[in-house]
Amino acid sequence: MEKPTRSTYQLLVDHIVSGQADFYRLAFSYVKNRDAALDVVQEAVVKALSKADSLREPAYLKTWFYRILLNESMNYFRRSRGLLSFDEALDDRPAPCPDPGERLDLYDAIERLSPQEQTVIRLRFFEDLKLEEIARATGTNLNTVKSRLYKSLKKLRDLTGEELYDDE
Amino acid sequence: MNEKWSGARARYEAAPVPEELNFAVAAAVRAGGRERKRRRVVRRSLATLASCCACFVLLVNVSPVFARAVYEMPVLGSLARVVTVTQYAIEDKDHLIDVRLPALENTGNTDLEQRINLEIQTRINGVLAEAEDRARQTREAYMATGGVEEDFIPIIISVDYEIKCQNERCLSFILTKTETIASAYTEIYCYNIDLETGKELTLQDVLGPGYREIANAAVRTEIDRRIREEGAGYFDGTDGVEGFQSVTDGQLFYINEGGNPVVLFEKYEIAPGYMGTQEFEIAR
Repeated sequence: MEKPTRSTYQLLVDHIVSGQADFYRLAFSYVKNRDAALDVVQEAVVKALSKADSLREPAYLKTWFYRILLNESMNYFRRSRGLLSFDEALDDRPAPCPDPGERLDLYDAIERLSPQEQTVIRLRFFEDLKLEEIARATGTNLNTVKSRLYKSLKKLRDLTGEELYDDE
Repeated sequence: MNEKWSGARARYEAAPVPEELNFAVAAAVRAGGRERKRRRVVRRSLATLASCCACFVLLVNVSPVFARAVYEMPVLGSLARVVTVTQYAIEDKDHLIDVRLPALENTGNTDLEQRINLEIQTRINGVLAEAEDRARQTREAYMATGGVEEDFIPIIISVDYEIKCQNERCLSFILTKTETIASAYTEIYCYNIDLETGKELTLQDVLGPGYREIANAAVRTEIDRRIREEGAGYFDGTDGVEGFQSVTDGQLFYINEGGNPVVLFEKYEIAPGYMGTQEFEIAR
């Protein structure tokens, strides 16, 4: 019989290698810089593999890795914010009161959300995660995810002027 | 999913994926595997102690004899060897610290032992104090800017060594300090000791007077080969970032089991971060 830790480790390596492009894109959507995104993915991979033995339940492998990747991305994101010049910081700030006539493309509108809301939207609509999976990947409970999703969709409706909903 | 989402999703998926990703992930997988093995060893040896860390650290600090008795790691029998004199782990809200400190013994040259051991001690103590300070400041800044306590990821500091070569004539080991805040940064210290003269070896001692040319040629050839065959990327002067120029007087290197010097370049030194630490063996 094969030892469970060994096969979990192998599954994790396969998961990382086969999904690398997706992971890179997700990291890039936060850090907005090619080298930084490569760095974030690398750090997440090293961290995940070195802690592979603490992953008891292989069924949670996917969300477990997302969680590490998101943590790394957020860390980078938070830190780089501190390094922005004042002007950049102003550019980056969501418009204080959006012009009601302004209509953003949905993709651009997502950038205006808070990082946590962006995460819920990206995982739900771009990575096709179920709400329970998002809860595990972000380390929050299902109700928090639901309310964040609901709030984000409402904000996006206001920003784009389009009817948006989640089919689930 | 309706068409508005598929439009946004198409834009999301259109983000170009750089060619180096493959290489970067493969390198990270190797590094992660190594790190995992190392952790397992540390965990196992710590488990044998099964006592509280504070008490352990105290004992080790008060009594090096105790530490040596617990962690003696013979590598050369009765000959010169590197032993672990201090090993401890601290885990709290600010940081996770994992330290394994080496020291020399039985080199037959007490002056040399004392000098090297003292240097290792002071260097690492300084580095650790600095790192702990930084960890505390980072945490304070994080909390002061409205961070949530549970979201704070402790800073990971780890100090470890690796013996590269050991025989009657020479002893070579490297000491690494890694600090992980968002991305990891590793500092490397190399020790190469000629046991016959008791001196620390320089690259010139190993390769002779023409050491610069020999080393530079070997490094350049290998860089070209890695770019060609492995798709590796190095700084090459474009974007104003100078790449490899020449080995330096204080060049980091260790001596491998084959007796050849291996020069080291830290992350970002001659290549983008995803390439990690770069090593080049120079055949004699």
